[in-house]
Amino acid sequence: MNRRRFLHLSALGVAAGAVSLGSGPARLTPHELLDLLGPETVRGLGRRYREMAPAADLLSAAPGRGGISHRVRDDFARGRTVVVEGWVLSVTEARQCALFSLLPA
Amino acid sequence: MHIDARTLPDGSLLEGDVCIVGAGAAGISLALEWAASSRTVLLLEGGGFQYEPAMQELYRGAIVGLPYYPLQAARLHQFGGTTGHWAGFCSTLDPIDFEKREWVSHSGWPLPRRELDPFYARAQSLLELGPDEYAAADWQRRDPTMVPLPVDPRVMWTKMWQFSPPTRFGTRYRNAIVDARNIHLYTHANVCELEANEAVRAIDGLRIRTLDGKELRARARVYVLACCSIQNARLLLASNRRAAGGLGNAHDNVGRFFMEHIEMPCAHLALARSHARYMKMYALELGTTKARGEMAVSAAVQRERRILNGTVSLEPGGLDETAKSTFEWGTPAMLDSLRAWGERGNPGPPPATSPGSTPAPLSFHLLTRLEQAPNPASRVMLGTERDALGMPRAMLDWRLTDLERRSFRVIYEVVGRELGRIGAGRVQVLDWVRGEGAWPGNLSGGWHHMGTTRMHVSPREGVVDPHCRVHDLANLYVAGASVYPTAGAANPTLTLVAMVLRLSDHLKSTLS
Repeated sequence: MNRRRFLHLSALGVAAGAVSLGSGPARLTPHELLDLLGPETVRGLGRRYREMAPAADLLSAAPGRGGISHRVRDDFARGRTVVVEGWVLSVTEARQCALFSLLPA
Repeated sequence: MHIDARTLPDGSLLEGDVCIVGAGAAGISLALEWAASSRTVLLLEGGGFQYEPAMQELYRGAIVGLPYYPLQAARLHQFGGTTGHWAGFCSTLDPIDFEKREWVSHSGWPLPRRELDPFYARAQSLLELGPDEYAAADWQRRDPTMVPLPVDPRVMWTKMWQFSPPTRFGTRYRNAIVDARNIHLYTHANVCELEANEAVRAIDGLRIRTLDGKELRARARVYVLACCSIQNARLLLASNRRAAGGLGNAHDNVGRFFMEHIEMPCAHLALARSHARYMKMYALELGTTKARGEMAVSAAVQRERRILNGTVSLEPGGLDETAKSTFEWGTPAMLDSLRAWGERGNPGPPPATSPGSTPAPLSFHLLTRLEQAPNPASRVMLGTERDALGMPRAMLDWRLTDLERRSFRVIYEVVGRELGRIGAGRVQVLDWVRGEGAWPGNLSGGWHHMGTTRMHVSPREGVVDPHCRVHDLANLYVAGASVYPTAGAANPTLTLVAMVLRLSDHLKSTLS
């Protein structure tokens, strides 16, 4: 998904699959990674991940019932990880990074 | 009793019951076990009590395999041996290190780990360590602020290290050795040849040379080589008067299976603030810290993923900088300053032994000490050049395999996932760990030389038997890390001393 499509979907409310969970776009941001690495690095990771996995379903990074932290932990426990710029990330948070990189800086 | 061999008349004969070649951690530990006994112990040391460049020069050798550290700087050729500049890291080998692992060729010791337990306990005091406790829970009980990371024990665990002051055997035990009436310490007595009997079934004597041109001879009932992995192999190979390939080498095993611990910076850790409280367990301040933990991959994961044993230590350091490997920061000049610090009695903090990066409590460099797979192609041979005593110099052909490379990759995959799972932070793995092919330019060992006279029940697969006796030679034994069949992930000194104490008990029963 490119930036144009993400913003378009957001405007149409399609991205509200996540937003409707009562969150808004903020819920799509990788807070834990932002705390650890800062926005510039996270944005770079997101750009790189979009290059690595252009067909990835980024909106699947939206939080489910257990919350995003639970999904990230579950990814790590099940080995659903991806290495981006050397960082061992959960697939969910890699997609969050990708979404974050589409947001205005 | 101490005698400088240079003061003896040329052609002198030294006689005793037990003759130990080399006065480093192994030789001194062994000799001390016999102090005040009824046996006469000859302790032959090539160097003197002080550092002498001419002695170090005897250790110079050629490097023909992977790049390696200058051999003459990696070991100290003087009374006390390399404890003159060691850093004091001590830990036990793990039970899995003694097992036959079908994914690690030539693995397995002919004894289980539990057989060493009582000797590990005895070795603690020689190395001036704390209690014989190597479980993280033991140290947490002593200091409740030392809390191990809450990792899944089926995946990872916290392996404990204790730190020797570090004990400088050359100063700490000099008086005990010199004052023991039954221990005859000869310094500047370089053994150049083991003389076998005609049938090549036993050693008749040793040929000794001094740098000023004297030649002496030593004779004993039992001989023990304790002059480090490279020199033990060199001496056996060079003793080729009656056996063309050298002594103990009927099956071409002497010098083979040279092992190191591969010590490399491998990753960064961005630590979650919530987990900063665990870091005290893993912190190290040389000269002050008594014990600390390193992360390690469980035996179950080693079996499942078919990898070697390895540990991960944490060193404060920025995410934008890369730590240096052991060989990079430990230049010969650095080791020299450590030796000088030791000669002054280890006063105050040691000379900087790490790159000295500014502590950044939420970012760490992850460094790994990985076991090297036993590899017959990784070996010590004799070179064509001879030293000042006429002995062929050592030639080191250090070689690694794909298994080491893959083990690094898997360890960091496991560590990255597990630290992510517990929310401790995120791990950034360095390019070289993720890559394949050639080793990086900063490839480094830990100056831990092991395996050139490996132990095996069969003379076809090992140089010494389970009692450290050279196969087919009735009275020749080997002490030190050269007998290790595998290296584990722990620094070798504690195990080396434990093995020496075990050998000493065996010799006492044999001689009685």
